[in-house]
Amino acid sequence: MKTAVVTGAAKPESIGHEVAVRLQKEGMQVVVLDLYEEGFSSLPGCRCVKCDVSDPGEVGKAFDSIKQVDVLVNCVGGSWEITRDDLRAGPRRGFRGLTNCSLEDWNAIRGANLDSVFYCCRAAAPLLKKQGGAVVNVSSVAARKGIPPGAEGSSGPYAVAKAGVMGLTRQLALELGSAGVRVNCVAPGVIASGRLKKVQAITPQGAGPEGPLKQIPMGRVGTVAETAALIVALCSDDTSYLTGVTIDVNGASYAA
Amino acid sequence: MRLEGRKALVTGAASGIGAAVRKRLQADGAQVFATDIHQSGDLIVADLTDADHIEELAAKVGTPDFVINVAGGPVAPTRKNTLPDMPKGALVLEDIDELQWAAVIAANLTSAFLVCRQFAPRMKARKSGRIVNFASIAARRGSDRVGVHYAAAKGGIIALTKTLALELGPFGITVNAIAPGFIATPRIEQSGWGRSSPQAHRAFLEAIPLRRAGKPDDIAGVVAMLCSEAGGYVSGATIDVNGGLYFGP
Repeated sequence: MKTAVVTGAAKPESIGHEVAVRLQKEGMQVVVLDLYEEGFSSLPGCRCVKCDVSDPGEVGKAFDSIKQVDVLVNCVGGSWEITRDDLRAGPRRGFRGLTNCSLEDWNAIRGANLDSVFYCCRAAAPLLKKQGGAVVNVSSVAARKGIPPGAEGSSGPYAVAKAGVMGLTRQLALELGSAGVRVNCVAPGVIASGRLKKVQAITPQGAGPEGPLKQIPMGRVGTVAETAALIVALCSDDTSYLTGVTIDVNGASYAA
Repeated sequence: MRLEGRKALVTGAASGIGAAVRKRLQADGAQVFATDIHQSGDLIVADLTDADHIEELAAKVGTPDFVINVAGGPVAPTRKNTLPDMPKGALVLEDIDELQWAAVIAANLTSAFLVCRQFAPRMKARKSGRIVNFASIAARRGSDRVGVHYAAAKGGIIALTKTLALELGPFGITVNAIAPGFIATPRIEQSGWGRSSPQAHRAFLEAIPLRRAGKPDDIAGVVAMLCSEAGGYVSGATIDVNGGLYFGP
């Protein structure tokens, strides 16, 4: 039986949640690493471990109890509800760019979106290399085009951290390729997750990170199901010759 | 099966990647119309550089859910010489005359344009569809082997893909490209590319992070992915399938 580790899967209507459910349906044992304990009961059959993946000590402890990893999906991320303190706080108001964010914001956002991927990949690598496997990281269209000043619900540090995730993906692809471990990435545009709904509830239409819908050629936001299906495909043999690649999933709003 | 009840058109389906794509989409349950420039099995014969041929093809196919434009290659076939030999060595700029330039652009780029122009209106009317074009690592990274005509044509495919993604997005149609790296198709194997000596072959494979050449099935899997739920919101993308040899932009 294959084992998958999915971070950031406990929140309802999140991409990670759907990935965990689908990998389980594929017959894998799924281990979830997340801080959001209230969501654990929504993942029956998964082994849920409370873990702040932006803390290398906690990641090390969590992986002490994991004996096998075939698949690692790093879904933890975002610009808010990412630390123990703000886990249930809702979206932060106002635009936070690089020039007006606090150093605390920078560290917390980089920690959740980039450092966490490094810690989890480093902890999982020896187990992945044993038999080969797949890593999928989640970047963002923000890494491609930045967050326009004025937009709420996302942040400048987030765009930078997510660009780092693309670079990390390439580097790890080189380091793990000879062991039969593929490392890929998806860069979602605007996806109708629980988090987007929270932003839409407090910002005027078009003022959220998604901008006006008419800027999306497909004329709609993406679904959690579509995005999760893509991530699961990147864990499967359908993509056996892909590594180091970022697939943009954004309704044609940005073609890299 | 996940593509049950769907209809696909696969061009360049006689061998290699096209044949693998055809087989895979059929295995996933789709009804596949397969075409190539030469007669082989039950293929529909069509010269895709000729708009009249494509109109005849469309009369047989109707409205496909998936159009997979695999047809192409570094050497352009003709209706008389449908399987021309691959070049033995690297093609340099001065080797390429205007006729070869025009033929390779036509076989790789004009063909995709004509097929899209023929089938997109039908997909638009139905407000759904997926188009998958074939670029190449030669366009992404450049190539010291295949010639500037092929690389330029495949670069054109990437631009055509992005532009059609914008144009057809409002109609619920996704348009993407796959850029294969070194795929060991029967024709490539025959040509001896990457196999000038055992040492050269080993060094060549060592340079690929996944340490192997690709197989046609590796590409077919990505096509199947783009035709499935996983491809629903992916559009305008060029997906590099090369074992990590080149990561794209």
